[in-house]
Amino acid sequence: MFYVRMFFQYVAQYMKTRLEYRADLVVEIFSDLLFQAVNLIFILVVFAHTDFLNGWNRDEIIFIYGFFLVPYALFSAFFNIWDFNERYIVKGEMDRILTRPIHSLFQIILERMELESLFGAITGLAVMFYAGSRLGLEVNWYDPLLFIVLVIGGVLVYAGIFVMIACISFWADARTSIMPMMYNIGNYGRYPVDIYNKVIRFVLTWVLPFAFVGVYPAAFFLGRDEWYVYSFLTPFMGLAFFGLSVYIWNEGVKRYRGAGN
Amino acid sequence: MNAIEVNGLRKEFKAYSSRPGLSGAFRDLFTRNYKIVPAVNDINFTVKQGEMVGYIGENGAGKSTTIKMLTGILTPTSGQVMVNGMNPHKERERFVQTIGVVFGQRSQLWWDIAVQESFRLLKKVYKVSDADYNEHMDHVIKTLDIEPLLDKPVRKLSLGQRMRCELAAALIHNPPLLFLDEPTIGLDVLVKLKIREFLKEINEKYNTTILLTTHDLTDIEALCERVIMLDEGNIIYDGALRSLKEKWGEGKEISFEFLERAELARLQTLTEDLGAKWEMDEKDQIFTALTGDDDEVISQVIARTVAAYKVRDVKINEPSTEEIIRNIYEKGMMHHG
Amino acid sequence: MDKYLEMIRIRFLMMLAYRTNYYTGILIYSINIGAYYFLWNAIYGGKSEIEGLSAVQMTTYVAVAWMARAFYFNNIDREMAMEIKEGKVAVELIRPYSYLGMKTMQGLGEGIFRLFFFSVPGMVVVALIFPLEFSANAATWGMFAVSIVLSFLINTQLNLLTGITTFFLYNNTGLIRAKRVLIDLFSGLLLPISFFPGWSQEIMQYLPFQGISYIPSMIFTNGFTGSEAVEGLLLQAAWVLILVIPIQILWSIAKKQLIIQGG
Repeated sequence: MFYVRMFFQYVAQYMKTRLEYRADLVVEIFSDLLFQAVNLIFILVVFAHTDFLNGWNRDEIIFIYGFFLVPYALFSAFFNIWDFNERYIVKGEMDRILTRPIHSLFQIILERMELESLFGAITGLAVMFYAGSRLGLEVNWYDPLLFIVLVIGGVLVYAGIFVMIACISFWADARTSIMPMMYNIGNYGRYPVDIYNKVIRFVLTWVLPFAFVGVYPAAFFLGRDEWYVYSFLTPFMGLAFFGLSVYIWNEGVKRYRGAGN
Repeated sequence: MNAIEVNGLRKEFKAYSSRPGLSGAFRDLFTRNYKIVPAVNDINFTVKQGEMVGYIGENGAGKSTTIKMLTGILTPTSGQVMVNGMNPHKERERFVQTIGVVFGQRSQLWWDIAVQESFRLLKKVYKVSDADYNEHMDHVIKTLDIEPLLDKPVRKLSLGQRMRCELAAALIHNPPLLFLDEPTIGLDVLVKLKIREFLKEINEKYNTTILLTTHDLTDIEALCERVIMLDEGNIIYDGALRSLKEKWGEGKEISFEFLERAELARLQTLTEDLGAKWEMDEKDQIFTALTGDDDEVISQVIARTVAAYKVRDVKINEPSTEEIIRNIYEKGMMHHG
Repeated sequence: MDKYLEMIRIRFLMMLAYRTNYYTGILIYSINIGAYYFLWNAIYGGKSEIEGLSAVQMTTYVAVAWMARAFYFNNIDREMAMEIKEGKVAVELIRPYSYLGMKTMQGLGEGIFRLFFFSVPGMVVVALIFPLEFSANAATWGMFAVSIVLSFLINTQLNLLTGITTFFLYNNTGLIRAKRVLIDLFSGLLLPISFFPGWSQEIMQYLPFQGISYIPSMIFTNGFTGSEAVEGLLLQAAWVLILVIPIQILWSIAKKQLIIQGG
C-alpha cells in the first residue's frame, strides 16, 4: 500500500517537472514515434520484395510488432535504467538511494520513470487493430484480460533481463556497453523466432527470452496454436526472470562499493 | 543507551593498478594487478545517545567509508555495527527511518522541483504525519531561515541556501541520529555559524546524536566535546577535544614583527640554549619562535630578541587545534588506540 | 597536431580500460548480425537475388554494415550536450585547441579502438559462422578503406551539428535520438537504399546519410564496382566538404551566444 502511494506521489511530481519543459516532451514523443515508424517502414519495404516470411504474411508480422510495442512502452516508461552504472554507481547517487526507507530498485524506478514512453502503447494498439482488422481477427470477451496478463508477463521479462544487466555494475567496476546493445537483441522478439536457427531460438526463448515480449504472446491472438504453450508460459517466464533479477539486485546491493573508490 | 556501537569494524577494497603505457594497457585487458587495501582497519568505538562527536582525519583516512557503513550504504568486510539498536545493512529500510544523513557534496533534494515539493515528497517517503511535520518542521524552517526559499527550485539556490535546505530535509522525520559528512564545505562564515547554532539547538531540544566529519576544525571546536581521529583506517585518538589540546598542544608560539631586517640564523643562535625553534613567514616578515610552556624561557626569548632588533609587534599564541592536529599527523602518531 | 594525436591515444587507452566492453562486444554484435542474417534468409526464401544482390552478398552487406558502424559510430553529440549543459564548454573554449577538432579526435580514437578490437576480430568470428563473400580485389579493399574514413567524417560532422544545437535548445535528448534513428534507416544500415521504393531513393540522393553506411557497404560487397564506386567516394567527399559550412556557421553563432550568456 505504501509503495502504491509512493508511486502516485512520484508520478505527480514527475508531471509537474515534465510539464515545465513541454517542448522537450513533444520532441521526445515525436522521436519515439519516429523510431516506431522506422521499424514499420522496414517491414513494409521488406514485404515489397517478398510475400511471406517463412510462412508469415505481412499483416501478421505487423501485428506482432504492434503487440511488441505495448510491453516495450511500459518497460521503457518504468525501467529506464540503461544508464544505471554511470548515474548511480559512478556518480554515487546510489548512496542517497540507500539512505532512504524504500526498496532501492523501486526508488530508482520511481526516480527514472519516463511516462511519455507510454504513448508507444497507443501506437502499438493502433498498429495491432490495423493489422488485426486486415487479418479479420475477432475479439473474444477474454482477449482483453489475456492481453493484459501477457503484456505484464512481457514487461517483467524485459525488466528482469535489464535489471540483471544493471546488476553487473555491482560486481564489475567497468562501464559496460551491454545495455544499449541488448536493446538491439530485444528487437528480435519482434519476428517469428522460427526464422532463426535452433541456437538463437533457444537463446531467445530461455536465455534472453525476448521472444516472450513479442512473438510468443502475439501468436495466441494470431491463432497460431502450435505456439500456445509458449504464449501461456509468458507470465511465468516474466515472474521467474523478474524474481531472479530482484534477488540478484539485493545481493548486488550488499556488494556495493560506494562512489569514488 | 548507545546510539552507535562498533566492534572490530573492517572494510577492505580491491585497489586496481594499471600498468603504464600502451603495452601495459593491453596486458591489463586480460589480467589486472590489484591488492587488497583495508580502508577501515578493525576499529572500535561507541557513541552515547545525545553526544556530538567529531570524526576527523585526512583525505582517505577512512572517514567516509566508516560513515557509509554506519548508514547502511556499505556492507562491512568484518566486524559488528549496531546503530540505534539495529544492524544497518541487514534491516536497511527500517533502519534508515531512524537516521538523518547530509552529504555536503551530494544533494538529497530533487534538482528541478521547488524545495517544499521535495520536502513534501520526503515527508511521504518517511511516513511523517501532518501533525508531526507541522510542529517539527515549522520550527526547523524558522531556525534555518529558509522560509523564503521554499518555493524556489533547488537548482536556483546558492550553495549556502541549498545546504540549509539539505539539513532541513535530513530532519523531516526528526531522526534521533544525524550523520553529517562535510556539511559546511565551501560555505561562508555566516552560514556556518547559523548551521552550528541550529545543530546545537536540535541536540539540546531532542537529544539528537550527531556524528560529524569535516575538514574545518572550527566546526568541531564549536560543536563537539569529543573527537575521534582516524589515520590510515586506524583510530589514533578518541577522547575529549580539550585533553587532545592539553596532551599535544604543548608549547607556545611567539611571533615578532621587526622594524628592521632580521636574520633567521642570528635569531636561532641567539636563543640556541633556550631550545627555541624559529620559523619565518617570508611574505609578512613575521618571525615565530616555538618554545616550551616554561614562562621563564618565554620571557628570556623575548628579552634577547628585543635586545637584538627593534620590534614593532609581539604576540604570544597557543597553537590552534588545527596546528595540533597537523602536528600529530606529521609526527605520524604512534600512540594508537 | 601533437595534441590531437595525444587525444586519440588517450581515448584509445580509456577504451582499453573498459574491458567488459571488449569481451561482450563481439559476441553481441555477432548475435546482432546473426539475427539479420536469418531475417534476410527468410526474406530471400528461394529467390536467388533481390535488387541485384544475392543472398550471400546481402549477408556480407549486413555484416560489414554493422562492423563498419562500430568504427564510425560515436556518442560525441551526447557528450557535447552534456558538456554544454554542465557549462564545461566554456573551459574547453579557452584551451589552446579547437573544441570541435578535439571532439572529432576523441571520436576517432574510439573508432580506431573499435576497429581493431571489435570490427576486425568480429568480422573474423562472423565469417566463421556465416557464409560471407570477401573480395579478392585489392582495389575494392582500398576504396573501402577510403570510404569508411569518409563515412566516419560524415557521421561525426552530423554528430557535431546535433551537439551544437544544445546551445539553442535547452534539452536536445529527443533530437539526438531522432537523429540516430533516422541515420540507421536512411544510411542503409538496416536496408540497402536500393530496396526502397523509387521515389524515396530519389529523395535520399540529396541527403548525406547514404554516405555513412550504404556506399562503403556496397563497395565492400562488390555491389558497386568501377565507376559506380568512384562516384560513391566522390559523393561522400562532397558531403564532407558541404557539411563544414553549416557546422562553421552554427558554431560561430553558438560561440557568440556563449559569450553573451557567460556559459
